[in-house]
Amino acid sequence: MKKEEAAAVQSGYPGWSGHFRREPEVPFARRGRHLTDLIVGKLLFIVALLAILIVFFIIGFLLRDGYQIVLEIGLWNFLAGMDWNPAGPTPSFGILPLIVGTLLVTALAMAIAVPLSMATAIYIAEIAGPRTKEVIKPAVELLAGIPSVVYGFFGLILLTEWIRILFDRPSGSSWLAGSILLAIMAIPTITSVAEDALSSVPREFREGSLALGATRWQTIRRVVVPGALSGITAAVILGMGRAIGETMAVLMVTGNAAIIPEPITNVFSPVRTLTGTLGIEMGEVAFGSMHYHALFGVAVVLLVITLAVNGLARFIIHRIQMTPARSRASGAFMQSVHNLIPVSLPRQAKRRVIHPRTTQRFAFLLISLGVVIVLAALGVILLEIIVNGAGAISLEFLTAPPSNLGREGGIFPAIVGTLYLVAGALAVALPIGIATAIYLIEYTADTRLTRGIRAAVDLLNGTPSIVFGLFGFAFLVLFLNFGVSLIAGQITLGLMILPTIIRTTEESLRSIPKSLREGSYALGASKWQTIWRVVLPPALPGIITGAILSIGRAAGETAPIMFTAVVFSSRYLPSSLSEPVMALPYHLFILTTSVPGADNQKFGTALVLLMMVLSIYLVAILVRRRYNRATVM
Amino acid sequence: MDDSTILETRDLNLWYGPKQALLNISIRVPKNTVTALIGPSGCGKSTLLRCFNRMNDLIDSARITGQILFEGDDIYADRTDVYTIREKIGMVFQKPNPFPKSIYENVAYGPRIHGERHKEMLDDIVETSLRRAALWDEVKDRLHEPALALSGGQQQRLCIARSLAVEPRVILMDEPCSALDPIATAKIEDLIIRLARDYTVIIVTHNMQQAARASEYTGFMYMGRLVEFDRTQQIFEDPAEELTENYITGRFG
Ligand SMILES: Nc1ncnc2c1ncn2[C@@H]1O[C@H](COP(=O)(O)OP(=O)(O)OP(=O)(O)O)[C@@H](O)[C@H]1O
Ligand SMILES: [Mg+2]
Repeated sequence: MKKEEAAAVQSGYPGWSGHFRREPEVPFARRGRHLTDLIVGKLLFIVALLAILIVFFIIGFLLRDGYQIVLEIGLWNFLAGMDWNPAGPTPSFGILPLIVGTLLVTALAMAIAVPLSMATAIYIAEIAGPRTKEVIKPAVELLAGIPSVVYGFFGLILLTEWIRILFDRPSGSSWLAGSILLAIMAIPTITSVAEDALSSVPREFREGSLALGATRWQTIRRVVVPGALSGITAAVILGMGRAIGETMAVLMVTGNAAIIPEPITNVFSPVRTLTGTLGIEMGEVAFGSMHYHALFGVAVVLLVITLAVNGLARFIIHRIQMTPARSRASGAFMQSVHNLIPVSLPRQAKRRVIHPRTTQRFAFLLISLGVVIVLAALGVILLEIIVNGAGAISLEFLTAPPSNLGREGGIFPAIVGTLYLVAGALAVALPIGIATAIYLIEYTADTRLTRGIRAAVDLLNGTPSIVFGLFGFAFLVLFLNFGVSLIAGQITLGLMILPTIIRTTEESLRSIPKSLREGSYALGASKWQTIWRVVLPPALPGIITGAILSIGRAAGETAPIMFTAVVFSSRYLPSSLSEPVMALPYHLFILTTSVPGADNQKFGTALVLLMMVLSIYLVAILVRRRYNRATVM
Repeated sequence: MDDSTILETRDLNLWYGPKQALLNISIRVPKNTVTALIGPSGCGKSTLLRCFNRMNDLIDSARITGQILFEGDDIYADRTDVYTIREKIGMVFQKPNPFPKSIYENVAYGPRIHGERHKEMLDDIVETSLRRAALWDEVKDRLHEPALALSGGQQQRLCIARSLAVEPRVILMDEPCSALDPIATAKIEDLIIRLARDYTVIIVTHNMQQAARASEYTGFMYMGRLVEFDRTQQIFEDPAEELTENYITGRFG
């Protein structure tokens, strides 16, 4: 019976005769594709291995130079010594005040940043409508895009002044100023990671709670936040890592006296951090001296601290990924259902003194206040710089070299230098980064090697930028004898952005569904054909976004280039890779800290740098948004 | 069996890590017919299907013993080219998985990767394949629009066209209709029946009516074993095994 049916259908079947066929082939013979697969696979493997080698190399190099100081004065005297006075007649190298300074500045910064970030994250994830969300999210991301030297500039020119006047102190350069700046800088990191965690709590649990008569605030507090707790913890730790590793902004506002505040709660005392010490002293230290080794020792301590912090975050995030979101949230959900049940019983409800709706109103008010503070911080910084900087911008300013120590003339060589640095950094990092990511995602299962590479990438990602600067200085400038040069800066910046590029590329490759790869393989495509034609094209926008974000980061960084590539003033553009260049962030740094009476130029430089970096970030945000829209279907 | 055999397994065993998913499967799939694989969820239908074109190579934990012969050649032999096997033994998946490219590019993808460069040739292949998949009339005016804009049923027929474009000898289909509505399902069933004139189709399905309507042979699998394999009519009207009968009549957990 089926046969007849089939025949009937077949009779009306179109296009059956037009057969196409390539010549018959030897069945199953191997073809060149295997060779391509093999070669590409090996190449990618070698590049990925390079990522690990780089990390070991950086660490090894720092240890080599830092170990000397421990040999000379002993580990205990180094870590617990109360006196940091490397240039005195009897130099002493105790870094305890620096460690304490770092911890104090970070702790207070976290105390400010965590509540504000949580408010913002909760607002974005749970309260804001789609419209508001589309404004606030990019605004917070813009905060992340402002270069740290611009924060430092703002801090030094305004924040410290406000503190001085408001609290009637001789100087506003203080622990407090450093912490406020660091808080502003850590907010975007904490907010975006925490917001992700909140948003990934399944919707059913919110609805389940609301259906029991809970208010939105009760739902947030008892279901959503507990469900996202580990993600939020990780967010805080990541923000902390960022704060500990920050150099320029802190260095410019903390006063940099290597003392422990007296009493320990005196937030108006100047302090000095580990990073600040490196930033200030590395430039003028004699190669190979005790002081030189002590600074490398400081870098190693800094690296160990950030490593520990980021390792903790990684561990927590890893644990989250191990437990499926559902079971995590459902645990919290069941508990909260338990808590909520009395709410729906009238007798209990009457006993309440404060109505839940009142509590909600109060909570939402506080949250909104937090958001307003964050937005205000962004607004003040942007406005200050735009209003004061706009007057300085002229054609001459943009196209002329500086004169009279930057008090006159323009910043043309600095703009060009920054572009050169960024282009070189991309040329270093893009090929290595993309190849490594492709290897990690497409070529290996979860082996010890890939785990090693991922750990190395994470380590590199958490490394403070000043440590890259130190490595570049010691290895490229001194050891390889590149001298302070464009190429040394490009490589240093390239290493710094490498982890970002690897990560974002990995993420976008991972977001391409397995079913597409299978569809391609099922047609007889080779591995490389599948990657090249099916996986990479839709992953491209994500990869480009990552690259653009890296450009923004590289353009704004000061610490990695200040000992490796830049000079303060140069009338000419570099004519080869081995010459030093001017760069916008460094120019701003020197104008602000060492050239009195160049106000106009300072604001102008800050504005140009800010606009350059922010427009880069804006492009990234737009690319991502378009891409997200395009893939919704 | 009266038809000549195109695919055959001999004592095929498959493990996912320590867990055995296929036990001693020996089956002979006749040429130019539709063969249905039925059985309760988790019995190994998809696993068996994915053995036929070595898609299981992509799963690291999978390990097999035994033989699979395609027209007498061992597809797991050392000298065998896995890419050529998949060119000859195509696969259509449960969920339509068109590439995020245009309709045209989806169909042209296969011929392209196998070295076809001539535009006219590609045009020709695309049209013929789309016609064979009974999709041509619906898409001929918008070949260069994104494939993802098609409906689910159209997408699945596009995926069929895509695998036809490399001229396979066998097409493996893993529950190709489970994501589709009844009308789209009926279209695909028609298509499967027609395809059997020139191709060998092996289809996994949970739908008894579909197996009965569309296939000439049916294999019933249970807990990693092939319990029974025979003409569909035989299986549905007078199965040799009680287990099969219980399953088909719905007297089954
Ligand atoms: N990648 C894998 N790794 C480990 N075990 C697997 C994997 N894929 C399938 N299995 C297991 O092998 C057994 C057979 O799975 P298979 O997918 O072949 O079943 P199925 O008959 O297709 O089921 P369904 O009708 O639900 O699709 C199941 O027990 C399943 O859990
Ligand atoms: Mg299945």
